[in-house]
Amino acid sequence: MKGSIMDARTVEMMLAAQGVPLAPGRAEKLAPGVNALNVDDPLRAELPFEVDPTTYTTVLRK
Amino acid sequence: MINAFVSTEVRFAGANGPNAGPLAGKRLAHKDMFYRAGKVSNCGSKIRKGWVAGETAAVLERLDAAGAADIGTLNMSEFAYGPTGHNDHWGDCCNPWNTEYITGGSSSGSGAAVAAGLVFAALGSDTGGSIRLPASACGVTGLKTTWGRVSRHGAMPLSHSLDTIGPLAKSADDCARVYGVIAGRDARDPVTAHAPDKVETDGEVRSVAISSAWIRDNAHPEVAKAVLEAAKHFKLVEVEPPPFDLLSAHCLTVMQAEASAQHAQWMRERPQDYSSAVRARLEAGFAIPAAQYLEVLRLRGAWLAQFTGLLGKADAYLAPTIAVPLPTREQTGPRGGAAMPRLLAEVTRLTRWVNYLGVPALSLPCGFDSRGLPIGLQLVGRPFAEGTLLAAGRAYQRATDWDERTPPASAA
Repeated sequence: MKGSIMDARTVEMMLAAQGVPLAPGRAEKLAPGVNALNVDDPLRAELPFEVDPTTYTTVLRK
Repeated sequence: MINAFVSTEVRFAGANGPNAGPLAGKRLAHKDMFYRAGKVSNCGSKIRKGWVAGETAAVLERLDAAGAADIGTLNMSEFAYGPTGHNDHWGDCCNPWNTEYITGGSSSGSGAAVAAGLVFAALGSDTGGSIRLPASACGVTGLKTTWGRVSRHGAMPLSHSLDTIGPLAKSADDCARVYGVIAGRDARDPVTAHAPDKVETDGEVRSVAISSAWIRDNAHPEVAKAVLEAAKHFKLVEVEPPPFDLLSAHCLTVMQAEASAQHAQWMRERPQDYSSAVRARLEAGFAIPAAQYLEVLRLRGAWLAQFTGLLGKADAYLAPTIAVPLPTREQTGPRGGAAMPRLLAEVTRLTRWVNYLGVPALSLPCGFDSRGLPIGLQLVGRPFAEGTLLAAGRAYQRATDWDERTPPASAA
């Protein structure tokens, strides 16, 4: 992952686009937490193109 | 007053007699999110206050058939979306060992009621630690089941990729009795697994993996001492720790995105009816890009394979359930101040990674800190290896008596 960092304005626009009201000042508080989840993952580069979310169930039931 | 019960109405009388079922005569109560047709499930919320279910949860059907009584509904975090046991709408659930401290959540009433001896066992749900946190904080045993092992039909959803259901009880043996009844395929929950068909409640424990240095360096000294002392009861294999914080971040990405989708309509129409803490968590989920959410799910199988590889020939991975001293309700409540987010992150640091992998985990009481509050360890297993974890728990509890201790606020 580790795309670009979202600023408060972007967060505010994302919620507005989904019809979710946000109190003044909330976007500034939300942005750091949202960005903290956008982390580098060392397995990302090795992941085969064909893998999708359902592949997980195959591994789980192996 | 621990405020464990939301209602004490007998919802199912149970059965008695030698042929009445494996849980005949046992008094159970459950987190207020397992639906029973014609009965109220408030889900710890204002929004669903007084909501009457139209169907009965698969797990309750199975417990009814096993002869268990259902004597009421138990307090929980609002919509199961909080790790402490605070509840603005129904009142906080308080720790029976010291009511100033958190019970852990979200299955707060389940942990407190079992610890206080009010019920034989209670069902909880675990999406990011919600069975293991209250089990650890209240000094009882809690089993987080493999994703897909127990039907979630008729249970309030939070995050469909992570939600699991399991028992809290005094001992691993008691958890096994409930688990053996509720586990298994159910066509009404399409993610329940067809195989393994047989539900194992026992197994063989050869060795347990551990990262002792990580525990010594990262857990509070009192927690580290109790957990490492408990680990001596097993044949240990030292391994590198899984990347707890990375996997925990992935878990939160999935949880927040899915929970916000689940609550989208209410968040648009009546956001004022959520507590400020839950509303803030739900707001965050709307800001997670879809591609990030799906990438994290694409990576899930690869990380599960890494974990089973890390286990090697070991049967489970042993770690603290909560690595820090239990905080008070005030420290982690609305008046917690600037330190609160960090405290909450520390409390949940070692539970969410397990939900991201979808594997089972058993939390066992393993001592008390200098304030007299319980300390718990967790054994994390391979998919569908609940029987092995329960066997390990039984062996540990045969050799110790932590599971037999009762708190001051106890019915015993």
